[in-house]
Amino acid sequence: MAGLLDLSKPRLAPGCRWGGPEAAPVVLFPEGAIRVQGTGQRILELCDGERTFAELVAELQQEYSEADPAVIRADACRFLEQLHDKRIVDF
Amino acid sequence: MLSNPLALIAEITHRCPLHCVYCSNPIELASAKAELPTNDWLRVFSEAAKLRVLHVHLTGGEPLARADLHDLIAGAHHAGLYTNLITSGIGLSRERLKELVDIGLDHIQLSFQDSGEAQANWIAGTKSHARKIELAGWIKEQRIAFTANLVVHRQNLDHLEEMISFLEGLRPNRIEIAHTQYYGWALKNRAVLMPTRAQVDDAVKIVASAAERLKGKIRIDSVVADYYARYPKPCMGGWGRQLMLIDPAGRALPCHAAGVIPELTFDNVREHSLEWIWQESCAFQKFRGESWMPEPCRSCDRRAEDFGGCRCQALLLTGDASATDPACSLAPSHLVIDLALLEVPIEASPPQGELIYRANPK
Repeated sequence: MAGLLDLSKPRLAPGCRWGGPEAAPVVLFPEGAIRVQGTGQRILELCDGERTFAELVAELQQEYSEADPAVIRADACRFLEQLHDKRIVDF
Repeated sequence: MLSNPLALIAEITHRCPLHCVYCSNPIELASAKAELPTNDWLRVFSEAAKLRVLHVHLTGGEPLARADLHDLIAGAHHAGLYTNLITSGIGLSRERLKELVDIGLDHIQLSFQDSGEAQANWIAGTKSHARKIELAGWIKEQRIAFTANLVVHRQNLDHLEEMISFLEGLRPNRIEIAHTQYYGWALKNRAVLMPTRAQVDDAVKIVASAAERLKGKIRIDSVVADYYARYPKPCMGGWGRQLMLIDPAGRALPCHAAGVIPELTFDNVREHSLEWIWQESCAFQKFRGESWMPEPCRSCDRRAEDFGGCRCQALLLTGDASATDPACSLAPSHLVIDLALLEVPIEASPPQGELIYRANPK
C-alpha cells in the first residue's frame, strides 16, 4: 500500500469516530480509544476526506507559524502514517 | 483509587440458532422469559455513559434474536456509546443491517467456524456458513468497522493459513484469531478441541507472518492458547478493573463465566445502578486488586500484568476460585494442565472423538 502523498485525502477509517466528553475528546475504534490533544487533535480534525494532505499541512503551517514548516510537515506525516498502521486513518 | 469501567458487555439474550461446541456462555442459560426488558437496557446504557464507559459490546447468544435490537442500538448510540454487534449474522438481512448502521451501529464482529462449508457447519451444529459469507458482502457496502472472528482448535488449526486467506477475501478491517478458551461449554469438548503443541507453535508463526504481511491493511489480533503458555492470560484485563458484563437476566458480572464461582452472588441492574454495582457489589470487589492473591502471585513480578490469570479457570480446574490460575507454570496446581495435555493425541488428524453440541435455553 502506498504511503501518504500530497494528494492523499486522509480521513478517519470506517468505524472510527470522535467520542468522549467535549473537554477531553477521544477517537473511538473497534477495540479501544486514543486520547488526542493539541496538534494531534488539530490534525485529525482536518482529516475530513476532502482536504488533501498538502492543504492540511499548509493550514497547520499557517496556524503554527512560529514552528519550522518542514518539521510540521514531517511530524504530521509520521502521525498520520502511524494511525494508518493502526487502522484508524485511511488515505 | 478505583478507575471507571471502559467497556460494557451486554449479553442481551442466550437464545441462539447455532450450537457451537465451544460456546462461551455459561452452562446454565437464561430463558427468554427471564430477559431484561428494553427500558431497563436503555437505562443501563445511559448509566454506563455517565460512568464514562466508552464501548458497548452487544452479544449473546445471538443478539439478533431480540426483536428490540434496533431500539437497543439506537439507545446505546444516543447515550454516546460506541456500539459493537457481536453476531453469527443469522437473522440479519441486507435491509436490517442498513437500518442498524443508519441508527448508529459502529462496528460488527462476525464469527466464522472455518473456511470450508462442511467443516464450519459441523462445528456450529447448523447450516450457517454460506449465509455468513453473503452477509460479509453486505457489511462491505456500509461504512462501518468489520471484524472477522475465527475460533481455532485442534480440528481446524492444520489449515490455519487457508482460513486466514479466506477471511482476508472478505475484506474486514480486522481479523481476530481466538484459541478456544476452556470454560463454559468448551470444557465439555476439551478432549476433542485441545490443539497439539506443534499446532500452537505453528499458529504463532503463521499469525505473526500474516500480521506483518497485512500491516496497514488488516489488523490482526489473537487470543492465546493459555494451556501452552508459560504465564496466564490477563483475564478481562483484571477482575473488576476495566469491564462489566450484564447477563440476559440483568445480573452484573465481572466476567462471562463468573457464574460458576459458587461463593459469589451477583447484583442485578433491576435493583441497583451500574455505579453502585461497580463500586460496592461484593462480586466486583472479591478479586479486585491484589489483597486476595495467594502465593506465588502475591510476590510475583508479573502480578500487575496478568492479575493472577483467570478466576473461573482456577475454580473449574482446582475447585478454588482464589488459587493461582493453573495455566501459570508457577502455579502449585499446574499439574492439572500437564495432565490434560497428556490426553492430546500427538497427531491432530484424522479427527477423533465425538462433539457435544450446545442446546438452546429452555
